[in-house]
Amino acid sequence: MRPAHLAQEKAPTMENAPTIDNVEQASRRGEVLVSARGLEKSFYGRTILKHVDFEMKTGDITVIIGKSGSGKSTLLRAIAGLTDPDAGEIAIGGKTVFADGARTKEWNTVKSDVGMVFQTYTLWPHMNVLENLTLAPRKRLGMKAGEARDRAEIALEEVGMKHHILSRSTQLSGGERQRVAIARALMMKPKLLLCDEITSALDPPVAAEVLEVLRRLKEEDGIALALVTHDMAFASKAADRVVFFHEGEIAVNSSPADAFDHCTNEDLKRFVDAVRF
Amino acid sequence: MNYNFDWGVVVDAFPTLLGGLGLTLQLAVITIVISMVLAVPLAMARMARIEVIRWAAQAYIEVFRCTPLLVQLFWIFYALPALTGITLPGYVSALIALSANLTAFMAEAYRSGFQSVPVEQVEAGRMLQLSHLQQLRYIILPQALRQQLPVILSLNISLFKDTALVSTIAVADLMFIANTVSAQSYRSLEVFTVAALMYFAIAFPVSLITSNIERRMQLAAGHGPIGKKLFLARLVPGKKTVTL
Ligand SMILES: Nc1ncnc2c1ncn2[C@@H]1O[C@H](COP(=O)(O)OP(=O)(O)O)[C@@H](O)[C@H]1O
Ligand SMILES: [Mg+2]
Repeated sequence: MRPAHLAQEKAPTMENAPTIDNVEQASRRGEVLVSARGLEKSFYGRTILKHVDFEMKTGDITVIIGKSGSGKSTLLRAIAGLTDPDAGEIAIGGKTVFADGARTKEWNTVKSDVGMVFQTYTLWPHMNVLENLTLAPRKRLGMKAGEARDRAEIALEEVGMKHHILSRSTQLSGGERQRVAIARALMMKPKLLLCDEITSALDPPVAAEVLEVLRRLKEEDGIALALVTHDMAFASKAADRVVFFHEGEIAVNSSPADAFDHCTNEDLKRFVDAVRF
Repeated sequence: MNYNFDWGVVVDAFPTLLGGLGLTLQLAVITIVISMVLAVPLAMARMARIEVIRWAAQAYIEVFRCTPLLVQLFWIFYALPALTGITLPGYVSALIALSANLTAFMAEAYRSGFQSVPVEQVEAGRMLQLSHLQQLRYIILPQALRQQLPVILSLNISLFKDTALVSTIAVADLMFIANTVSAQSYRSLEVFTVAALMYFAIAFPVSLITSNIERRMQLAAGHGPIGKKLFLARLVPGKKTVTL
């Protein structure tokens, strides 16, 4: 079974045919999607990001690792538009979205391409799964209830949660909630999905299932993923790039092989050893 | 003590008293609706990032929380005309004073409700392009109201009882009518007993519902869902609650 791409709801009979979105996305594979230059951020006089340069390519999985407090979430939040850096520039899809200490006008045209999933409290507990998924498409994209439901079914299928479409979010397990949260983000058809420790509160086998969902999204939909995780097995297996944060700086930015097998950075070695026990 | 009850007075005056109760209920309902709406912007102002707005909201809330409602009522009815030259009818003054007062208390309930919603849930809404108003309407408010429902209901019960104060500015509410009937008939015991029962008949069921919701929420927070039997047992006042 090949989970249909979200863009295919217009041609449900041609499940395997690439859509325009798909082709476009695929042909852009390898292009720079996110480019951040010289990001700096302090909270109450404490420097969290020290001149960070960061780049992500279309269709890549970028795994971000590093000790707690090293600035990983702050970087993701800066890209997502939830936190404004003190200095630096961010471009998404070639458009400058942050410069001179403020979001640019272009940010408004790009921000819907960016989705984010958090570690905890991911779903709205007073709504069921379907309502969680369809709220934004109905209110923001003006989608009719039926159309929104169709899209929700496709998105839930993609994360293996279609049978839970009418479940209350409070009845779901942690792993199921995270998969629904991913589906909810997919409803807005992001080109870039930011995942901040979305499996950190889950048991390892459940975490692996959720990460597998992400890997499929990248393979089949060409969505670029940036994820913060402590799962080194996933990082070495599925990542295209590994970024190691150390005290607010990117200390290592390389392929997984270079990061883990031919590692020359002492801090990274210590970190990997510590995570492995 | 040898008191000869004369309930005939009350029987005769009952329709008039009911009319007073009607006005009391009307005042309470309008006040509650106004306050529950106005408390939203006030609570948001109380949490605003801009300091001046936050302080103004806090000043408003503290003024109304820390002065007697009766003084507020008199101030609006007697002092405001002296200040502005505009004389408001008693009924309008009553509505303004009651709403201004309840809004202050309600805003504080809303604020703690707003703060109980995890920030990730709001940020998730923001990432899905929901506007500020939509985040408030669909994510924050429903959860805040649910969480603060017992507090909101008890505020409303208090307000309902406090409407009796408007009788002092000649608004013909239940208390005012009772006072009048009692003065004319010299039967204060019978009249005020019936008036008290009328207030009680409205407030008590709401009070029961409130404590029930509260217990159910406590249970839901700690011990999962509770059975229907237990729920009914809790409706009976004075009955020992099952300790889990
Ligand atoms: N909104 C904020 N206000 C104050 N301090 C913050 C805020 N966000 C993050 N920080 C601080 O920045 C530090 C780094 O945060 P973060 O980027 O979340 O690190 P990581 O995700 O790598 O654990 C944390 O120690 C935290 O105290
Ligand atoms: Mg973090």
